[in-house]
Amino acid sequence: MKLKYILGLIIAVVLSVVYYKFNPEVYHFFPECPFHKFLHLDCPGCGSQRAINALLHLNIEKAIDYNLLLVLSIPLLLAQLSAKVYAYFTQQAIVLNFWHKPITPKIIFALVMLFWVARNIPFKPFNYLAA
Amino acid sequence: MEDQKPQDQAPFGQQPFGQSPFGGAPTPQPKNWLVESILVTLFCCLPFGIAGIVNAANVNSKYAMGDYAGAQAASAAAGKWTKIGFFCGIGVGILYILFFVVLGMGGALMNR
Repeated sequence: MKLKYILGLIIAVVLSVVYYKFNPEVYHFFPECPFHKFLHLDCPGCGSQRAINALLHLNIEKAIDYNLLLVLSIPLLLAQLSAKVYAYFTQQAIVLNFWHKPITPKIIFALVMLFWVARNIPFKPFNYLAA
Repeated sequence: MEDQKPQDQAPFGQQPFGQSPFGGAPTPQPKNWLVESILVTLFCCLPFGIAGIVNAANVNSKYAMGDYAGAQAASAAAGKWTKIGFFCGIGVGILYILFFVVLGMGGALMNR
C-alpha cells in the first residue's frame, strides 16, 4: 500500500525532471503517438508531452498551444489529487461530487470528441488547436 | 480508490433504512474510472480512454437511476478499457524507448 505511493512519487519526480530538462520538440527519444505516426492526424492526447514540458517551465500559453484539453483538465485532476492526498493524511475520505454526477462524463466525452475533430480541421481558427 | 466496496451495496432498488433517496449517498457508487480514463485519453492515446469515459458515463447515469447492477457492470467495463489503454500506452512507451536506445547506441558508434 505505502510502497505503491512511494513508487508513484518516485516515478512522478523522475518523469518531471526528464520532461523539464528535455523538450520533446527538440529531443526525439520521446515516444510518438501511434495514431499520429500512422494516420498523420492528431488524437486528443497529441502534444501532451510538449505541453507538460511547457507547463513545467510555467509557460501556460505554449502549453495551451500544444494541447488545450490537457491544460483544461489540470484543475480537475489537481482537485482530485488534493482530495486523495488529504484523505490519505487525515484518514477522512473526501468525495468530489461532480465526478459522480451523470452529466460530468457526458460533458467530458463531448469535449474530447469535439476537440479531436476540431484540431484536425486544417484551417483557421481550428488549426490553433493542433498539437 | 479502494474505499468503495461494491459488495456492500443494498439489493437492487432498495434504499437502506433511514437514508433518504436524495442528498446523501444511499449505497456507495461503484468506481467510475473517470479520472483514470481522462488520464489515459490524454497520455496514452486513443480509443481506450474514450471507451473508459463512455462507460464512466454509464456508471453515473445507471447509478443515478437506481440500476445498481448495471452501474456495477459499467464500472467493470470502464475499468477494463482504462487498464487496456494504460498498459498499451506503457507498452508503446517502453518499446519506443528500447528502440531508441538500440538506434541511439548504433548512431553514437557510427559517429565516432
